[in-house]
Amino acid sequence: MSILEAIRIAIGSILSNKLRSFLTLLGTIISISSIVAVISVINGLNIYVEESISNLGKGVFVISKFGVIHNRDDLFAAIRRNKNLRLQDGLAIKKACDLVDEVGVEIHASAKAKRENLSIEGVDVGGITESILDIEPFEIDAGRNFTRSEIVGRSYAVFLGNDVREALFPDTDPIGKKITVGQRRFLVVGAAKKRGSVFGMSRDNYVKIPITTFQKIYGTWGSVNISCRKAPGVPIDEAMDQARVVLRSRHHLKYKDEDDFGIVTSDGLNDLWKNLTAAIFSIATFVVGISLVVSGIVIMNIMLVAVIERTREIGVRKAVGATNRDITRQFLVESVILSCLGGFLGLLLAAALSVIIQNVSPLPARFPLWAPPMAFFICTTIGIFFGLNPARKASRLDPIEALRAE
Amino acid sequence: MSSPGKEIIHLDNLRKTYVMGSEEVHALDGVDLSILQGEYVAIMGPSGSGKSTLMNLIGCLDTPTSGGYVLNGNQVGDLSEDELAYIRNREIGFVFQTFNLLPRLTALKNVELPLIYSGIGVSEREERARESLDLVELADRVDHRPNELSGGQRQRVAIARALVTRPTILLADEPTGNLDSTTSMDIMKLLNQLNKNGNTIILVTHEKDIARHAKRAVVIRDGKIISDGSTDTLGEETSAIASTESTSYSHSEDPS
Repeated sequence: MSILEAIRIAIGSILSNKLRSFLTLLGTIISISSIVAVISVINGLNIYVEESISNLGKGVFVISKFGVIHNRDDLFAAIRRNKNLRLQDGLAIKKACDLVDEVGVEIHASAKAKRENLSIEGVDVGGITESILDIEPFEIDAGRNFTRSEIVGRSYAVFLGNDVREALFPDTDPIGKKITVGQRRFLVVGAAKKRGSVFGMSRDNYVKIPITTFQKIYGTWGSVNISCRKAPGVPIDEAMDQARVVLRSRHHLKYKDEDDFGIVTSDGLNDLWKNLTAAIFSIATFVVGISLVVSGIVIMNIMLVAVIERTREIGVRKAVGATNRDITRQFLVESVILSCLGGFLGLLLAAALSVIIQNVSPLPARFPLWAPPMAFFICTTIGIFFGLNPARKASRLDPIEALRAE
Repeated sequence: MSSPGKEIIHLDNLRKTYVMGSEEVHALDGVDLSILQGEYVAIMGPSGSGKSTLMNLIGCLDTPTSGGYVLNGNQVGDLSEDELAYIRNREIGFVFQTFNLLPRLTALKNVELPLIYSGIGVSEREERARESLDLVELADRVDHRPNELSGGQRQRVAIARALVTRPTILLADEPTGNLDSTTSMDIMKLLNQLNKNGNTIILVTHEKDIARHAKRAVVIRDGKIISDGSTDTLGEETSAIASTESTSYSHSEDPS
């Protein structure tokens, strides 16, 4: 008997008992759909992180007071040890490092922005040097970047994020208009393209002003972030080492002292993120793995019932020439089809779920293409593993006894 | 096809012993039997006589404890389960008292069943199943399921299924046991006709009237053949058996 024949027989018997088959499948449907939905969300987050959270372009690293800190002890040590970074540190790196071809410096505060009777709260005010807009790509939608002389001359010029623009200039062109940020009046020179949101948090609620102006208003005590872009054709590690040496010598660190600043790269951020999602993934896999085992047991149970119910049929098949192998194959194929059908329906449900999650919740979800083959593989394994015992039982029935069965 | 008159079944001192607890039960106690191509043989005997055991052994559903069994030139005495399945598929067509059709399948699919295990392709399978159903005059019922057919029609489907592999022997176990007398006559006519066409038929029954349709009667009692001869002589000498049978049957009769 060919495998095709076994599939035909199995489909026949699954269809002849639709309700029971469906109930049997429910376990598999739920476990497959939940694991695929979890994978979709993690996959969506990963893609999202790669695309957007780390705004850093390729070959860019950021030196900041703390960097990426993984645990509380490190944080306390860093708070005791690390010095504030200054604008001059950035300028020194730019001057001394030939492996770094662009350096931008940025510092942050929060303020309210107003124009006439319109206002927006909690605006992230970034004091920057003009190269920041190039290094961390901010696409200019209208107007222009700051000029060198605006930066040096501490001018009251402002570059708007999309939220601020929409809030203060709902239907007028902002360029050349004046707005109030905090207590001061600024001239709008440019506006950025919309960047969207992450986890429901807007990434467009900001304004940029020259860093010199920022320091005039807020003082020079705050720590700045120094964004560096490596020179073309240079390994990023060498550029980072060069910048590190410069900063260490400016901070008079001894050979055995630890860095009193942190360096973040987009790769580093992604690694951190991937570690985090890998942990979520393994926990989710474990939980869903248990439910898959349970659904396998359900399938085994129903197949054992089917063997008892169809004892007479097995007897007839054996009498007309079915070998033990034929019978084993028939029941094994049936349990594999059952679990794969469950997996298939589970995938459909998961695809629907990820569309719903994507549209309704702030979580991004993206259905990964490798989920269907994975689900197929898992379901086949479950079908074989849990179908083997019932199939053996069926094949070992004595034809004489089986034909006498009610 | 083997030539007419060729020996297709040869049983040589066949024994089957069941061990029940500490007791040995000799279901068959040294049976010698020879059946030729084209014969129409009734195997008779009361329940417990060993007639079912004999049928199971001839049908290759079971293996003997000792003794030889040659079926159409094959030594089948000590074959493995799967080898026996192969023999059943090609050499034997079963007709059961309870029809044993698969309720989910149409008449056509039921008849195709043995051919699935012969590894025959879909189109040839269907063609041969139709031919076979045509032979039992059910060509217009191919798409009916067993529950849409009368008892007689079901038994005809079962006979068509038994014939579809063109087996060496047709093994009919109380084929009329679940049918009324008119329908029984129809089925027996069909079997008679099949025998005339050259099919070798072994009929297992306890009813003398049914056994008379066969040409030779083998009577079994306590695991031994007690008489073997033409059904014309089936009368006085076996009446005692028949009466024993009828009483024992009335006790053991299954109400279903």
